[in-house]
Amino acid sequence: MELLNLSIRELNKLFITKKTKPSELYSEIFNRSASSEAALHAHLSLFEETNLVKAKKSDERFSKSENVGLLDGIPLAIKDNINIKDEKTTCSSKMLSNFVSPYNATVISKLDTEQTIYTGKTNLDEFAMGSSTENSAFGLTRNPWNTDYVPGGSSGGSAASVASRSSIAALGSDTGGSIRQPASFCGLVGFKPTYGSVSRYGLVAFASSLDQIGPISKSVDDARIVYSAISGHDSLDSTSINYEQIELPFEKNATIGIVKELMEDGISEESKKEVEKVIDILKLKGYNIKEVSLPLIKLSISIYYLIAPAECSANLARFDGVRYGLRVDGKTSYEMMENTRAEGFGNEVKRRILLGTYALSAGYYDEYYGKALRARKKMVDEFSTIFKECDYLISPTTPTEAFKAGEKTNNPLEMYMSDLCTIPANLAGLPAISIPTGLSSNNLPLGVQIMSKPLTDNSLLDFSEMLEKELEFYSTPEGWSK
Amino acid sequence: MSKKFDITNIAKLASISLSDDEKEKLSNDLSVIIEHVQALSDLELDTNIEDVYIHPLEKVLALDDDTEKPSLTHDEAMSNAPKVSDGKFIVPPSLE
Repeated sequence: MELLNLSIRELNKLFITKKTKPSELYSEIFNRSASSEAALHAHLSLFEETNLVKAKKSDERFSKSENVGLLDGIPLAIKDNINIKDEKTTCSSKMLSNFVSPYNATVISKLDTEQTIYTGKTNLDEFAMGSSTENSAFGLTRNPWNTDYVPGGSSGGSAASVASRSSIAALGSDTGGSIRQPASFCGLVGFKPTYGSVSRYGLVAFASSLDQIGPISKSVDDARIVYSAISGHDSLDSTSINYEQIELPFEKNATIGIVKELMEDGISEESKKEVEKVIDILKLKGYNIKEVSLPLIKLSISIYYLIAPAECSANLARFDGVRYGLRVDGKTSYEMMENTRAEGFGNEVKRRILLGTYALSAGYYDEYYGKALRARKKMVDEFSTIFKECDYLISPTTPTEAFKAGEKTNNPLEMYMSDLCTIPANLAGLPAISIPTGLSSNNLPLGVQIMSKPLTDNSLLDFSEMLEKELEFYSTPEGWSK
Repeated sequence: MSKKFDITNIAKLASISLSDDEKEKLSNDLSVIIEHVQALSDLELDTNIEDVYIHPLEKVLALDDDTEKPSLTHDEAMSNAPKVSDGKFIVPPSLE
């Protein structure tokens, strides 16, 4: 039996019926990492010693029928911008290469109560800024389907780890598509919950009004299990919400909108065909399908690349060589800070800090940041109007399949465009999921994105699971082992 | 919208020292991005800045009660500081 391909629910059943043990699963996971890491570089660190102890304890709980839930003994990979107490949180940056977190993120505290095992910390674009995981100060991650290609980003290490089966599922963070885009590039499910439904406490902030933690997994059900464990109100995060879920129509009385602006120029024919394939399935099942227009989506990259860098420039001001992280000496405090930030940040982070500083500077604030905020509000209003007539919105997750490593590194704007379809959900705080639909002519995965209105996460997961069963995409990557 | 971009001044505001090569490269990159975001300048917007989007569900962000709660110890909070002495951060002088 290939344990690593099983779902969380299937593994839990095997633990309960004593057909296998968490320590046996962990052993397979660790062996897989040992053989895949050289080719992929999904993890920045592996917690082998701690995990052998944790897995044995989990064995004991199952043997005494004292197991605590579906995630007991399940190895999850954690993106290295989420704090685990007494472990490094580097954010793939020289700035934090020796930072050891003195506290747990709320999502980790919640997973701890579930007795989850953490395989280790996964690679990312520095401070989650990027779409390919090439911006890591510790080397790029490669796509398990074909190692010439990027895994997407910024949660590329998490996605590569799940796709290569060196973890059962993973946590990522999504500011403009950083969960959904790598999930799509690696043939996985990636779920960005409603903004505020998962605590950001202990997630190193990039753009606070957009950042959201969520799961990357092999199936929608695995994503649901992880989401259930990590969501909920948290007084440590002032943007955390405390609302009941809203239920959407599920069967044939649901209305599906196809986002016109995300099926036009800039989207590859292959990406469009995946959406058409999904629409054909839904039509056969009797769903109401209609084309909808959200004109401001065309400006979402412009809105995002003013708001996100503005928030990033404020959030990353904390890295000053005084309280934590790197310090490069200087004659004065100011010179020390300038030298520290010059040495500690990589090119993309500097680019975004400078862009944000410019957008917030005197004389330009209203013209850039203020205008972007007002445009964002108008986009939110457009979504609200559309959600009065549609329950779910469908689009490609990415304009194209995965691109080759090095292909877009010299053209930041082209790199930014790879998040065209995913950014709107962050700007509007919507739940959004990418599910895999098939393979391109280059044998690389493609996916579709489904969005719904805030607080309909559970309905979105149910709807996506129905589609997942119809699509029957069960391929696993072998490229990394060749 | 203005297209003027003074990289030296912006880098100073951002407290990042840049080499001449970096200034040229980043200045070019940022000019391209700023050119792209100019697309917003033609947009007709009647939203007041006071009504801008803050949160999909909350109009006012939650605030905690002003009561003492368990937190990091002083040593834990200082544990990652590059230079400390007697429980305090040590920094170079502000003036030469």
